[in-house]
Amino acid sequence: MTAAVHPDRNFKHWLLSPAIFLLLLIGLFPLFYSLIVSFMRIDMMETDTSFAWLYNYKNLFEDARLWWSLAHTALITAIALPIELLLGLAMAYLFLEKMPGRQIFISLLVLPTIISPIVAGATWRLLFDNKYGPINQIISWFAGERVNALWTINPALVYPAIIFCEIWQWTPFMFLILLAALSNVDKSQTEAAEIDGARFIRTFRYIVLPAIWPVMAIAILIRGLDLFRIFDIIWALTKGGPGTRTETISIYAYSQGFKQFETSYTAAIAFLVVFILTVICTWAIRRMGLAK
Amino acid sequence: MSDLRITDLHKHYGEFHAVKGVSLDVPEGEFTVLVGPSGCGKSTLLRCIAGLEETRSGKIEIGGKDVTYERPRDRDIAMVFQNYALYPYLDVKDNIAFGLRARKFAEAEVETRVKRASDMLGIGHLLQRFPRELSGGQRQRVAIGRAIVRDARLYLFDEPLSNLDAQLRDDMRVEIKRLHQELGRTMIYVTHDQIEAMTLADRIVLLRDGVIEQQGSPLDLFERPNTRFVAGFLGSPKMNFIKATLSKTGVVLADGRELMLQGRSGLKSGQAVLLGVRPQHIAQAGKTVAKGHERIAVTIELVQPTGSRVLVTLPLGGTSVVAELAAHEVSRPGEKTHIDLDMTRAIIIDATTEKVI
Amino acid sequence: MSARPLHRRYGVRLAFRYGIAALLVIVFCFPVYWLFIISFKTPDEIFSFPPVWYPASIQFANYAVLFKDGDAATVGNSLILASVSTFFAMIFGTIAAYSLVRFKTGGENLAVWIISQRMMPPVAIVFPVFLLYVWLGWVDSYGGLILLYTAFSLPYVIWMMRGYIEDIPIELEESALVDGCTRWEVLWKVVLPMARSGLFATAVFTFIFAWNDFIFALVLTRTEVTTYTVQVTHYFGGQSNFWAKIAAMSVLGTIPVFITVAIMQRFLVRGISMGAVKG
Repeated sequence: MTAAVHPDRNFKHWLLSPAIFLLLLIGLFPLFYSLIVSFMRIDMMETDTSFAWLYNYKNLFEDARLWWSLAHTALITAIALPIELLLGLAMAYLFLEKMPGRQIFISLLVLPTIISPIVAGATWRLLFDNKYGPINQIISWFAGERVNALWTINPALVYPAIIFCEIWQWTPFMFLILLAALSNVDKSQTEAAEIDGARFIRTFRYIVLPAIWPVMAIAILIRGLDLFRIFDIIWALTKGGPGTRTETISIYAYSQGFKQFETSYTAAIAFLVVFILTVICTWAIRRMGLAK
Repeated sequence: MSDLRITDLHKHYGEFHAVKGVSLDVPEGEFTVLVGPSGCGKSTLLRCIAGLEETRSGKIEIGGKDVTYERPRDRDIAMVFQNYALYPYLDVKDNIAFGLRARKFAEAEVETRVKRASDMLGIGHLLQRFPRELSGGQRQRVAIGRAIVRDARLYLFDEPLSNLDAQLRDDMRVEIKRLHQELGRTMIYVTHDQIEAMTLADRIVLLRDGVIEQQGSPLDLFERPNTRFVAGFLGSPKMNFIKATLSKTGVVLADGRELMLQGRSGLKSGQAVLLGVRPQHIAQAGKTVAKGHERIAVTIELVQPTGSRVLVTLPLGGTSVVAELAAHEVSRPGEKTHIDLDMTRAIIIDATTEKVI
Repeated sequence: MSARPLHRRYGVRLAFRYGIAALLVIVFCFPVYWLFIISFKTPDEIFSFPPVWYPASIQFANYAVLFKDGDAATVGNSLILASVSTFFAMIFGTIAAYSLVRFKTGGENLAVWIISQRMMPPVAIVFPVFLLYVWLGWVDSYGGLILLYTAFSLPYVIWMMRGYIEDIPIELEESALVDGCTRWEVLWKVVLPMARSGLFATAVFTFIFAWNDFIFALVLTRTEVTTYTVQVTHYFGGQSNFWAKIAAMSVLGTIPVFITVAIMQRFLVRGISMGAVKG
């Protein structure tokens, strides 16, 4: 009895093994490898592999540029995410009811989201050009005088520039998902509320929002994580400049790793990022009631 | 030789013990129906036979070969599923031929077999259609066709008719019975519907909580149930159970009326029992009282005509019982009449063990 | 009596909605328009003040330059990297998803661990991977990038395919098992055909994610396997940009995406919401 085994017992493991192998190879192994590196003091000059343990991690706390980069990241997220959400929601409401040509409008509006972020950044680099770009030209019409704003250089304007581009690219994402979520809301409920004389705000707050929340929460989570690692758009527009004015955590980690060649220190930054993200994700998933 | 032999089979789903030591012997060519209320383990048992569930202990032999640890494909079985399990991306012909092609049959052989099976089921004209273009009954035929082309040792049916409407269900029941007679193969059929079980089965296996409650021919189970559960499960309308106490010569109902039991011995006087009487064994009083019958005066409470018959509810021994009378015998509630109770076919059940005495 | 004003109010509202919709389309599509139009402009038109809103004639000189210099080959690199990695990610991801759904392998924990891999910021992944690749000598090789894209796409593929596979009635598979298929045959003859449209949609989005990637390619390529996204940034100058090349290169890289998404309209929402909305 003990010798006989049901067949295909290991089939499920065979199915999983290539994926798990790759995820371990590319996900876990390098992370483990860089954890060890982060305990050393390897940089461009030094290839000594003796352990310095928490040396790099101590430095993290004294690195003002690091904390500024985190602040920049938080700033962009804090401004862009709510705007994308609200604008996306408003657009979703606009297209909720059927109207002729609706699908064409939606298709056109979605274009920015599917473009590569680096191309999106490059596009806005062209648009923002102080002399030959159309944006300054359009502003000039309204201002009635020649405007020569240096969008990607002027410290006061770089954030608006980045956030414009970011909102332009990702509002359609929110719009599309929220439109689908709104379309799935049970119409009889909202109509019943309207017949009862409930105002739009009340209907939204007590009927629509709870219905679309699961989807909305995931959209916010996806976008929040994307914004936290924002890199491409900034790379294309300002490369973190002027100076380190728009340096986000990803840009900073890149420049430490691949320009300064602070190998061990960058590994420590990577770990900090993973740590922060894990904390945020766990908190968000719990807070948003996504843990199912 | 038996085509299927199950010995002390156990199946667990986590903590849940779904099949608790079932042993079963199915002779070649027999139509066996596994029946019971939902959750009794009948479908699980069938899936264990098919090899779709792993068993914890016990042994399954098909055609004399131990298949307990064999793959479904190596068990020489064919199966029809409740929701038909037709492949929506294949047309009817490819659906029926699926099993043959999986077993690498020559294409010419596939053609002949598909033709024979589809003709037998009257779906020869549907071969180029896709499942979504078929009605429920046609889909069911295709599903059965897919099983019968296979020429398997054992045919398994998992509630194949429960997704059909009443009329179609009756037609398909006849169809399945006819197929069994033509093919003469061993078939195991799972249903929760006792009428299907009674009409189709050579043998009924009644399951309850993962254990076989009783098995035997349909009439056997109907007329000689071992337990209150079996008595109550088979038959429509359900058997009436009346609380009573045994006396020397019969049973005493709650209202003190004594009903005589003849030709029974070894009854323990004073024992609490249930008197089981089928609605069909209560009749309008005739000119004379037949031997072993008891005549009782009653007032009709409720009348439910069914066309050829009429179901009447009447008070007896402190409860309400249902009697199935010929139509027009009773017309309205409140009517006073006499009924004859056929005590020779009544059963006596021990009130504590629920076993038939 | 009241029907007429109500009707008129509906008309006004509809006109209002069209107005806003048109405005939105102009705002959101203008940058795309500008990108495309620059790629067709002559240098004079590009560097004219005030800007030229539409070129006098469409000319393809800017593209011709890219092909002549061989820069357009970077689109080919992107194509190879994205399609090969999508191919492998789809195979490994789909069978893994099947295992997760059908056999509950590893339970909920494994599924959550896999999706959490997706949450990792690329910059945190790419640095350790870079160290690993330097050690193995895989930097600037097709194999290295394909491996990375495949692994990075896996969580997405697994997550999406899990949803599609869950929709397949299990009886179809069981019926095939009884009828004589092995487990692998069931996968091939039942699961894949049943999940066909989901497979296709997931593959398209996996492809687009790899196609649109910048940071992995930036770090792990040098000259041999430069992708179009990296190539675009090569035209950025400190003082002046190669505008025509930026635009033409971007358009070359964007058109395939537009076409595929146009075909995949139906799956767009489910694809980008990672299955949160079943479209």
